[in-house]
Amino acid sequence: METGLKSKALEQFQEVTATLINPSVRQWKDQGGKVIGYFCTHVPDEIFTAAGMLPFRMRATGSDGTELSDAFYSSINCSFPRHCFNMALRGEFDLLDGLIVPNSCDHIRRIYDNWKSQLQTGFVEVFSLPKKTGEPQVGWYRDELLLLRGKLEKHFGVKITDEKLRSAIKLHNENRRLLRRLYEFRKADHPPITGAQVLAVVVAGTAMPRDQYNALLKELLKDLEGAEGIKDYRARIMVVGGILDDPEYIEIIEGQGGLVVTDFLCFGTRLFWVDVPEKGDPIEAIARYQVQLRPTCPRTYGDQPRRIKFIKDMIRDFKVDGVIGERLLFCDPWVVEHYMNDLDLKEAGVPFLKLDREYILSGKGQIRTRVQAFLEMMGR
Amino acid sequence: MDTKEMTKEEVLERSLARYKKERDWFKFLLDTLHMIPEPTEEDKLQMKLLDILLNSKELVIDAAVNGKPFIAGYFCNAPEIFNAMKLPWYMLMETPFLAASAPYLAEDIKGTEEIGLGSDLCTAIRLPIYYIETGQMPIPTAVLGLLYPCDGAPMLHQVMTHNKAWLDVPVYCADPPYTSDQRAINYFADELRRMVEFLEKHTGHTLDMKRLVEVCEESNRTYALWQEYNELRRAVPCPHGWGIGGAQAFAVSQCFVAGDPRCTDWFRQLVKCAEINVAAKKGPPGVKERIRYLWFDIMPYGWVFELMPWLETEWGAVLVMDMFGNFPYTLIDTSSEKTIFEGLAKRNLIDAPMIRQARGTAENFSADIRRMVKDYKIDCVIWPGHMGHKDGSAAAGIMRETCRELGVPFLHIGLDLFDRSYTTPDEVKDRISKFFTAMGLG
Repeated sequence: METGLKSKALEQFQEVTATLINPSVRQWKDQGGKVIGYFCTHVPDEIFTAAGMLPFRMRATGSDGTELSDAFYSSINCSFPRHCFNMALRGEFDLLDGLIVPNSCDHIRRIYDNWKSQLQTGFVEVFSLPKKTGEPQVGWYRDELLLLRGKLEKHFGVKITDEKLRSAIKLHNENRRLLRRLYEFRKADHPPITGAQVLAVVVAGTAMPRDQYNALLKELLKDLEGAEGIKDYRARIMVVGGILDDPEYIEIIEGQGGLVVTDFLCFGTRLFWVDVPEKGDPIEAIARYQVQLRPTCPRTYGDQPRRIKFIKDMIRDFKVDGVIGERLLFCDPWVVEHYMNDLDLKEAGVPFLKLDREYILSGKGQIRTRVQAFLEMMGR
Repeated sequence: MDTKEMTKEEVLERSLARYKKERDWFKFLLDTLHMIPEPTEEDKLQMKLLDILLNSKELVIDAAVNGKPFIAGYFCNAPEIFNAMKLPWYMLMETPFLAASAPYLAEDIKGTEEIGLGSDLCTAIRLPIYYIETGQMPIPTAVLGLLYPCDGAPMLHQVMTHNKAWLDVPVYCADPPYTSDQRAINYFADELRRMVEFLEKHTGHTLDMKRLVEVCEESNRTYALWQEYNELRRAVPCPHGWGIGGAQAFAVSQCFVAGDPRCTDWFRQLVKCAEINVAAKKGPPGVKERIRYLWFDIMPYGWVFELMPWLETEWGAVLVMDMFGNFPYTLIDTSSEKTIFEGLAKRNLIDAPMIRQARGTAENFSADIRRMVKDYKIDCVIWPGHMGHKDGSAAAGIMRETCRELGVPFLHIGLDLFDRSYTTPDEVKDRISKFFTAMGLG
């Protein structure tokens, strides 16, 4: 797929995404900064920014095996935590000053137990996420945040004031607005950027200081103004699913002519489509944002109608021809969600393809074949 | 199956077909036992159990046929409350568990894959989804769903609310906190209070607090007897094997008649049976106990008769304790509304088997193994590793370490509790035999 985009900012994002511990993180550490690792977008990274720390979204980029973690996990466990924990056992996350593990899924939450039993990271905490979207759940989340704030303050000797939280919310919201502007470019008939490139941009944002990231994003947006659009695609595709942080996966889809123009992913729209309210109590605002306002993933019960509406709105706004539902093997929420997506999209007349995968890209030939067949089935 | 073209009566009949088959099966078993001229105490125990199961099935069928309110829920939704509100109910995962070795189970599992649910989703979740989607589940007045202990459970209810035939059925799911401190208990107690409001609104039944006190006190008597029974299981040889005890005790006390005098009566009979065997230094009939094992999960109900008796006859291996027979239930302080709801919250959030281990952090996996190994003179621990218990399999390393510290061999099998083709009974037997041999057991 041809794109004439020349952007140094984009190259930098791609480098950050391709490297686990990228130069920005190293530099942050070298300057005495603290780095907090966390799993899942439902962990409020604003609180770490407010604490003067670098939030680092956990990935296992570059992992080449699970030989150490296999003693703790089993073959019916998702490959993402297995690779992550393996890297942790190899010492590749030793630079972390802390780790927050939410009960986001059955596989991730056991990282907490295994990490605590095997590793010496000074600050490892569990974050209890609610599974519904009601007012009592906002209250629960708010209390969790207050507890986390207290623990961070005590352990690291920092003060996380409301003022600092408000300023972090503003900074993170600016990031969300910039990413939404990036997505606006993708609505064009000939978008100037590929889906793989956009994924690299989004992933990079979870592994860099947010102010640096925003500055680079602005550069990229400038580079995109007037850049030549992509014309040689066969269909406009939306990707829906869970954690996908490898742009090469999208490259395979795009290599067959399916230009990915939007998504409903953890490293995608669910991260930035809605802002955290900037008025009122910042703790309450983050809690309400996380529990009620932002798009949820299938772990949140009762929100499937809102999720499918979001997907359908995206299909309309981004002129999507077909949807690919990707899923990591052994993920129970997404297998059932895609079962419902399939039924709902069939009813709406939108072609839908389910693709199971492992965290580390494998079976490329099979993905190619299935995407080709999908595009042909769509008459493209 | 598309039920759009069916009449209301046909839809009702189809939704009850499986349920009626199960009822008829229990009735057949009960009638057979009644034909025994001089039933033993254990025969009487089974008769009492079947009577309870049958009655529960009849109540639900009667409610469904005659348009009376009934609900679908779970053991950890505080069934004491359903009893106090006089609401007939059935457990949403009942068919996979009760239809042990039923001829249609394999066909139904195939059906789950054919409708697009894949093969790595927990079978216990897949099957109820399949029954809902194909119109083979009784449609209740209201549903109490479950958002724990695993990822699959909430998805079952999500499909339910998505299914057109169930669209008008209100669903309430109590939100489970991940922690287990007093804040978590208070939060869950409030969720249970909201559950009562939901039930009152949608079923027209009300909760009489005096009645709830009676039910909770009755359930306390039940649990005291369960404790007594488990003390008896410490004996060598163990008075009962896999066929009597834990699983039934769990089903009676949590799934069918929680806080009901019939439940207490059944436990009284259970204790009596165990006392007779302990006094006579007897174990399960025809078994010479050589290995005392802890089966740390649910039994493989889809093919239970192909494995569990073999363990006893081939190896003299007796299931002395299992996850569902363990006794951690809190006795409820009935002095006030607050203490009752806190007690119910604790029971259903922290004590209920599988919920206790799988809902939160992995501490209870190791703590329970430690306690049971010590209390019951366990020779080895078997973690069957059901393909749906993904959080548990991600804690297998922790369990293994715990067993290593205790000096007790640990076996992680990897099977499907319902689908015998996942790891066949012969493969499981082979793995167990090699394990026993390698560890010098039996």
